[in-house]
Amino acid sequence: MSFLRSFWVPLALLAGALVLVLDPVPFVSPVARPVPVPDWATNTNPVRQPKLVPHYVVAGFTYQCSDCHRIIPSPRETQRRLTQHTDIELNHGLNTRCFNCHHPHNRDAFVDDFGEEIPWNQPQQLCGKCHGPVYRDWEHGSHGRLNGYWDAGRGPQLKRRCIECHDPHHPPFGSMTPAPGPDTLRMGPSLPPGHEGRRDPLRIYSAQAPPTASH
Amino acid sequence: MAPPENPPGAGGDVARPAEVSRRGFLTQGAAAAAGLAALAAALSPLRHLKEGDLPTAEEFLQKHYKEMTAAEKARVLGRIQEQVKKRYGVTSQVNDPPPLDGVEFVYGLNISRCIGCRKCVHACVAENNPSRAPEIQYIRVLEMEKGSIDVETANHRYDASQVPRPDKWYMPVQCHQCANPPCVKVCPVEATWQEPDGITVIDYDWCIGCRYCEAACPYWARRFNFTEPQIEPDQLNPDLAYLSNRPRQKGVMEKCTFCLHRTRVGKLPACLEVCPTGSRKFGNVLDPTSEVHYILKHKRVFILKADVGTLPRFFYYFDERGSRYHDPLEGAGQATHGEGA
Repeated sequence: MSFLRSFWVPLALLAGALVLVLDPVPFVSPVARPVPVPDWATNTNPVRQPKLVPHYVVAGFTYQCSDCHRIIPSPRETQRRLTQHTDIELNHGLNTRCFNCHHPHNRDAFVDDFGEEIPWNQPQQLCGKCHGPVYRDWEHGSHGRLNGYWDAGRGPQLKRRCIECHDPHHPPFGSMTPAPGPDTLRMGPSLPPGHEGRRDPLRIYSAQAPPTASH
Repeated sequence: MAPPENPPGAGGDVARPAEVSRRGFLTQGAAAAAGLAALAAALSPLRHLKEGDLPTAEEFLQKHYKEMTAAEKARVLGRIQEQVKKRYGVTSQVNDPPPLDGVEFVYGLNISRCIGCRKCVHACVAENNPSRAPEIQYIRVLEMEKGSIDVETANHRYDASQVPRPDKWYMPVQCHQCANPPCVKVCPVEATWQEPDGITVIDYDWCIGCRYCEAACPYWARRFNFTEPQIEPDQLNPDLAYLSNRPRQKGVMEKCTFCLHRTRVGKLPACLEVCPTGSRKFGNVLDPTSEVHYILKHKRVFILKADVGTLPRFFYYFDERGSRYHDPLEGAGQATHGEGA
């Protein structure tokens, strides 16, 4: 007892030194392991890659649209079900006729309001026939995508056309799977009770509970 | 056994202070030895210091970005390049593009078109080299109930299988590059400032990590490196700039810089390039032919938290009609863009 009484200070210091050296309680970082980000999340390509040429591919061969349509005349009224091009389902609101957009005689072109041809690679002229305000906004840049350079004097600007985002036969922009959500340390309050869990930013990962990808 | 110097009861009980008893010597000696051991143990983490954990004299004496001469700047850029090579094994190009004359950057975001896909968030991360673990992201995409604009209850952790969800709308928030930035005012060491082209930047080597700016920002746009940022070498973007995306160190703030290493050479920011809906618009507001000039002039525009007087350069706008918030969504539900599916 007297030994403890006289040596408590060095004993306490030695115990502290032992704790510091042996580190019996290992530090567990609250940092989550990175959530893998799928490649499509950083892909800058538009959602559609239209050909912008009047080509039709069947059985590995590529045809001009007019190759067939020059020989086979189409009836003027085309609200019947198609026998060819059955993959196309026209779901464009009140616009239910093929020849509202496709040229009735030259199938390698679109048709404008006066029966003149619109080249296949200028779809915005066609869409602008009806969608005036959107066409105006697209021309000035408040609608649609621009890629490349904001300063045209320093590099090329790639102005995306209507059908690189919209399917002309079913124009509303579709839904998408969202990219993984945030897993950051301090991004707002934790979730309301009952919703904490894998999105809890301060959760401690162990080997038993690997992080689950959030998509 | 040696005779005791001070036999008990021999009158020498009252030892003079200078005299050291055997017991006192042993006790104090043991305490001193144990104290030294404890000190050594407390200092033991220093053994794990790696080269580069402590700043070199050159780094320690480095001046503020605005006080560096061109030669000093070039030397610092070269040193950063070497450090990146050493730390990540990546050959990088560290630039310091100056602000362009007659240019003031402005961002427009069309909330009628944003679908909340979060591609901008990840394109930004891939471009700007923030830490992957812990995750640091400059953009938060808020999901709100349609008809409300309550950012306090907005959810940015939504985990839907498909977006947009029919009864929600989405508002991405990032640094607004304010013309009256509260984050710059509160910085005690002037490590953050507004550039002539409107971008608020940080000198990461001057920042002391007090996080006042994080508290001052009403848009929650500033991020802090709580730990040493971790980036896989293959994920490091080698196109670096001193004021934007060069790798940061532990204990400093970082934030969106409108990708100034891209935008000051004429390119568009990474978040805009990736946006599948074209909701994001960027340009020089002083140029009357620019997209953002048209938007500010002709579209209905609002700024977030206008009442706090920060004069953001980040404008939200919306379309009069034809957006998904006016059209019924029944038909749209069928169309999906298969990328993530």
